[in-house]
This record gives sequence, structure tokens and C-alpha cells, in this order.
Amino acid sequence: MLRNILAGLAVAMVAIWSLSAPPPASAADTVKVGYIGSFDTDTGKSTIRGTEIAIEELNAAGGVLGGRMIELVKADTREDVAEGIRAYEYLNEVENVDFIISGSIDDVSLGWLERMAEYRTPTLDTWTSFIGIIDKVVEDYDKYKMYFMNVACDFALAMLYVDFGKDVLAKDMGWKTVVVMQEDTAFAGGVYELIEQVLAPEANIKILEHIVYDINTVDFAPIYNKAAASKPDFIYLISSVRSQVPASQYVKLEVPVPMTGINVAALGKEFWTDSGGLGGGISTLSPIPSLGFELDERSADFYARYQAKYGDARPIFPHFNGFNAYYGMLNAFAAAERAGGFAPLDKWVEEMENEDIVIEKDGEMWLRYAFWKPGEIEPRTNREYTHNIKFDIQPPYDQGAPSMVVIQWYSDGSTSVVYPPKYANGKFEVPDWLK
Amino acid sequence: MAIQILIHGFLLSGLYALIAIGFTMIFSVGRVLNLAYGVYIMLGGYTYFMAAQEAGLPVFVSFILALLSGVAFGLLTYELLVRRLENNPVAVEISTLILAVVMQAAIILIFSPSPKSMWPVLRGVLRFEEVSVTANILLATGVSWVVLALLMLFVRRTHLGRAIRAVSMDRRGALISGIDPRNISRVTWGLSGALGAIAGVFFATITQLDPHMWVFPLITAVAVVIVGGIGSILGGLIAAHIIGFLETITTTLIAPELRGVVTMALIIVVLVVMPKGLFGKEEL
Repeated sequence: MLRNILAGLAVAMVAIWSLSAPPPASAADTVKVGYIGSFDTDTGKSTIRGTEIAIEELNAAGGVLGGRMIELVKADTREDVAEGIRAYEYLNEVENVDFIISGSIDDVSLGWLERMAEYRTPTLDTWTSFIGIIDKVVEDYDKYKMYFMNVACDFALAMLYVDFGKDVLAKDMGWKTVVVMQEDTAFAGGVYELIEQVLAPEANIKILEHIVYDINTVDFAPIYNKAAASKPDFIYLISSVRSQVPASQYVKLEVPVPMTGINVAALGKEFWTDSGGLGGGISTLSPIPSLGFELDERSADFYARYQAKYGDARPIFPHFNGFNAYYGMLNAFAAAERAGGFAPLDKWVEEMENEDIVIEKDGEMWLRYAFWKPGEIEPRTNREYTHNIKFDIQPPYDQGAPSMVVIQWYSDGSTSVVYPPKYANGKFEVPDWLK
Repeated sequence: MAIQILIHGFLLSGLYALIAIGFTMIFSVGRVLNLAYGVYIMLGGYTYFMAAQEAGLPVFVSFILALLSGVAFGLLTYELLVRRLENNPVAVEISTLILAVVMQAAIILIFSPSPKSMWPVLRGVLRFEEVSVTANILLATGVSWVVLALLMLFVRRTHLGRAIRAVSMDRRGALISGIDPRNISRVTWGLSGALGAIAGVFFATITQLDPHMWVFPLITAVAVVIVGGIGSILGGLIAAHIIGFLETITTTLIAPELRGVVTMALIIVVLVVMPKGLFGKEEL
């Protein structure tokens, strides 16, 4: 009797405990997304915020993979390769994440890439554009198939920039000679090779001088004077680190030669205030969506939510990778839903390769978040871009979004897209002192 | 090409001399390497930015505010850190380096890590044949020469300046003569902060503001002090010109990316061949 009473009491206690106690937290309750990248930079923040908005949207819709909530954990790379590798290890070994979204710069992504291949964690890069990583996926698919890059690789960016060189720099402006000024980084070196091998011969533009400068250069006057002494029609700047220094000194010195190229500092809306209002006349290549880029309805809605959530906290307009992170998250989780999760890896990879978010504006293709499949050949360059975003580098850009646009800063602080023509809403200009 | 090297070499040297001189003073008087010196430069730049560019105050007023920020931070560094550790130069060096890193984090917190460009103190561009020169860097060079001349006069002709020299020569002897070395140290740290802040305004308007901007001037100052010789204002001035011209020649004639390498190589050569520097002595 006593035994039965005790047994009943035990059952009752267990029942009461199970009803009153909060459910134990366990990894199985949430899906963990790991962010890897810088916490402090505008570009890093763009990826974080794009990811956060996507998570809010997915959680608000009832969760994912059977109603589970998504939890975001973050690891700071400080834009340093060694920190990046440690961050990737942390996300896998301590946080045990299901999926990683990256706002890493090229060198950092290259650093953790081998760790990714070891952990076999599905990973999406939103900022890195180094074609060397895509080539690794092409050449050793089984090892790197968990990697996706939803920004057009630098080779694709350069190909469209060749068209800009031919159509605008050579044809419209009549420019035939250039001095290339590049920072001493792997990224800039790669871009220079493309300019030398493709832009110059195809656009019939002669490179008069190639100047490589240290990224810690503080005084650009001798460099600009050296460039101007060659009397080129224009200067092509390749700058991704401390880009405001060459840009603002170009304006302060009123260098008597027009300048265009790649200037990462000019990608954000804060460039105007950061440059003290000295950015007029600067133009730069940019992946999309960029400043000055006309947003479709869906992307405009994303931007409205971004503004409501983050207000005046910089960056007040997300860099292109903020949009990429948002759409990339939707891609990744739609693929996971069909695959039944991020594991087994092969199933998720297969579904991710089938992902295709097509965004139209005024009835025509405007943006596309899909990926090149293994073995698929891009017709213009006749090469594979496995797991790179499905860009289109030939007018009328109806197979995907263009790999890049050229944006122009004007002396009143406004910006426009000036190339390609389908997306252009402004004109290419030289600075006021050269008009 | 020669005129380009001459003009740019001269202007860059002036800026380097301005950057290095406050650092030299501290070492000569206090016998410590103040690794927070770059922070005075950074504070000067940010204070000027806030005053002139954000608050719209007149240039002169902004300049004075920047200078005062350098003085205040120099004095605070001395009172809160250096005075308490003055018998342990290694502890002073480590603590000033940590202070610089803390200040960098504070600047990131307040202003974000993004770099900012500043309007020049003096606007305009002058052209000499094919060489473009901003009025701002010409002004920086002019200010550098005036500041250095005034400093030399101050150190050699005024009672306080002579007291500073006395402490830099023999601290105990100065004390016996009725000079309070602590008061002299306060003046020196305040003055060093002021000089750093003045350099910071020009350095930032010529280059840019960013939370890591304290590193390059610190390296430049160390290079100038090592090459010129510890404790020599004149030596520092000459070393600044050697380094400025060497970097300009490297940039113009060899390769811009080697400019820093040449300076480092010069430091190694001087350390091996003339460890006391070109004009090294014990006092100012």
C-alpha cells in the first residue's frame, strides 16, 4: 500500500514538475545561425542587420524546420585572418551552429575556407568576391560544395566594367590613356591583372603607368603628381582599404586628371559626411543593390524595415551585402525546409543550388538570387562559376542581375547609377574643377 | 621631377618634424618613451573636427580647443600614470601603450571605426609647373618652422626653458638648484600634448581621421628620434628632413609601396652604425 502511495506520489511529482517547469533549453529547440565578420565596420554591420531582419521575418512567420526559432550567434573577425580562423572555429566548436553567414573580407574568407571544408558547415559569403574561392569550388566540388557566394565574383565585376570602359570611358569621354593607381593588396593586384589583360585591350585604352602604393600612405601628393606628369586621360584607382585618403586628397589637391575606378569608401551613404563633403566627382564600381540604385518593391520594403529598426545608426543605408544577407538567408532556409534541415549536407546543397528568387521591377528582371550550378557555363566568359550568384554580364540582363553598376557622387552630395544603361538614372561626370 | 621631389620632400619633412618634436621633449626630460604620444595627435584631430566641422566654430577657436585638449591629456597622462610610475620606465612605457589602445577603443565607441575626412585648415591649391601643392600643407610646414623656432627660443632664452634643460641634463642637480623636477615634468608633458595636438590638426586635415591614426605618427616620431639622436631638437629637425626626403625620393623614383620600408631600413642602419643617432646627446 505504502509502495503504491509512494509510486503515485512520485508520478504526481513528475507530472507537476513537467507542467510547471520551463522547457529545458537545448540546441534542438533552435536553429543556430552563425555570423562571421567584422562587428564594427559598416559592411560588417550591413550583413548582420540583413541577417537579423531575415531572422525576424522567418521567426514571425512561425519559425523554420517544424516551428523552431532561429537564433543568431556572432563571432568577430576584426578583419584579421587569424581572428577569422578562430571565429570560424568558435562558431563550430562552441556554438555548434547549423549555418554560417559571412560578412568577411576576401583575405579572411580565404583564411577560414579550409576550416569550413573540415567542419562541412553550410556557409554563405555576402561580401567576399574573390574568384579564387569560386575556382576552388569548381576544381574540388566535393571538398568545398558547402560554400556559396551571393555577390558576383571579381572576374564578373571586371567583365562588366570592361563594357563601361568601352561604352563610357573610351566612346563617350574619348579617353585613350590611363594611369592605374592601386593599393598594395591581393584584391587590388587581381583587379589590376584584369584591367591589364582585358579592359585595356578591349576598350583600346593604353596603360601609361602602373603605380602601387602602400595602404598606410598618408600623403598622396607625390603619387598624384607622378600620375599627372604622365598626362593620362584619366586615373583608375583601385582602393579597398583606407579609401578615403586617396579620395579626399584627390579632391583637396584638385588633381588635374579625371579619376574613376574602385573606391570602397564611396559605397556607403556616410561617404559624404565622412569625406567632409569632398566626395563630389568620385565614381566607383559597386555590386548591387547600391547607393543610387532604384529599388524594386520587395527590396524597398526591406529597406523600410531596416530604417525602422536601425534609424540613424550607421550605415543608414545598407551596403549591397546587407541586401545579399537578407535574401541569402531566405535562400538558405527555403533550401533547408525542402531538404529537411542543413544536414545531410548533400541534400541541402542540392536544394540550395535549386534556389531561385527572381525580383522584377516594372515587369522586367531586376534582381536575382540564384546560384550557378556545377558544370554550368557562363556564355560570355565560357567558364564555370559554381555556387557564385547567378549574375548576367550581357545586355539585356534578363538571366540575372548585372554583376555591378557604376555609381557617381555629385558635388551636391547626391548619387546616381550611371552604368549599365538599363539601371542608369544619372550621368557620368568629372569633378567641378575639370569641367 | 627634381622640383617635385624638392617641394614634396620639404613639405613632408616639415610635417614629420612637427609630429616628432613633442615626443623628443618627453624623452629628453622624463627619460621615458611616451607611447601614448600618438593619442595627443589623434585627440587634436578629433577635437578640431568636432569644433570646426561639426559645431561650425571658427578655425582659430577650433585650433585653440584642439591645442587645449592636447595639453589636458598630456597633463592627465603625467598625473595619473607617469608620476606614479616614474621610477620604472618600463612600466611607464607599457602603461602609456595600454592607454593608447584604450583611447583608440574610446574613439571607436564615440565616433565609430569609420575614417573621416576633414576640411583643410586653409583651402586652395597652388601649382608650381606640374606640381600641385595644397595651401594646407604649406601652412603646416610654415607652422612647423614657427613652432620649432619658438620652442628653441623658449628652451634657450626663458627661465622656464632653461629649467627644462637643466632637468634634462641633471635631475638631481636641478633639484639642488631649487627647481622642482615634477613641475618641470608637468610643463613638459603639457607642452608635448600641445605640440602633438597641433601636429594632429594638420596631420588629420592632410590625411584623414580614424581611430588607428595614432600609430603612424608614433612610428614616425620614434624613427625621427632614433635617427636624429635622443634629446636633440636640431637633430630631430634634420632627421625629419632626411626621412621626409628619403620617402619622397622613394615614392617618386622607385616605388611608392617601398616608402615605409626605406625608413625602417634607415632606423636599423643608424642603430647599428651610430646607436646614439646622428646628433645624439643627453639633454635638449
